[in-house]
Amino acid sequence: MNYSSELIKGTLKTIVLKLLADNKKMYGYEITQRVKELTLDKIQITEGALYPTLHALEADGFVTTEVEFIGKRVRKYYSLSPTGKAKTKEKVKELANFMDTMTSLLDIKPKLA
Amino acid sequence: MYTINDEQVDYILDDIRRHGIGIEDLQQNLLDHICILVEENLEENGDFEKFYASVIPSFYRQEMREIEEEALFLLRFKAPYLVLSRNQFFGLLFAVFIGPFIWYALNSLATNSMMTIGYECIPVETWLATLVLALHPLLILVVLFFTPEQMEPLIPRGARVLLGIRPFVRILPATGALAETGPFAETL
Repeated sequence: MNYSSELIKGTLKTIVLKLLADNKKMYGYEITQRVKELTLDKIQITEGALYPTLHALEADGFVTTEVEFIGKRVRKYYSLSPTGKAKTKEKVKELANFMDTMTSLLDIKPKLA
Repeated sequence: MYTINDEQVDYILDDIRRHGIGIEDLQQNLLDHICILVEENLEENGDFEKFYASVIPSFYRQEMREIEEEALFLLRFKAPYLVLSRNQFFGLLFAVFIGPFIWYALNSLATNSMMTIGYECIPVETWLATLVLALHPLLILVVLFFTPEQMEPLIPRGARVLLGIRPFVRILPATGALAETGPFAETL
């Protein structure tokens, strides 16, 4: 079962931040592959969603970048900045809290008498 | 494993640019991503162009420019940035440069209107100051405003203006393609 794009889009920032927190530094393609691997292909992040998100995270100052030249092309590695580390904790906590809320909201409870 | 050559790297980069990706950061990321896809999935003697043509459509729904527009859309809501359209930006500059002089001129006219009507009531120094301090920058702004975006020295296409230590004013492309609501909610 693959999750809908709306669900993934709402959590993409958190996913990327958490991956960077766990893996120190990563580049775009690596992030997409790691997500596929960790979720057994249930979540497939597209380039059209990932790179704008990385761009926005960098503009926000949550990630820092370093580049590696591979022949004529450049590989951009992303890692968390100090504010990004704090933001990751906040986003993960927020998402966990949201999941708890959704669990209780959507859980079908037996009616009492 | 296929090894991509410099000519093919240039080909991909040109194609990315041709498809409307103007932000260098996105260009480089997409270029690297595509190169990895080619190198990992194309057989050693495979047809590069055929493979490339088959891979590219998976990056977008309708056109590749969506990726850049999505990036700009996300930036629109980033505090503390002030995101302005190109026209708003120039409007602001016009107001900053010209506003004080217009205000002074109108004020002078108002205070002297009981005696004389017309520009004679404004001191020569004011006209000279207006000419030098307001009209000259105005002329520069008019030239910049009508300069095609691609040739503009002040605001490169899809880029931002750096004011201060870090950019806090972002200028959107003149195409105005961004909607107020998330236009690419289905991009994933």
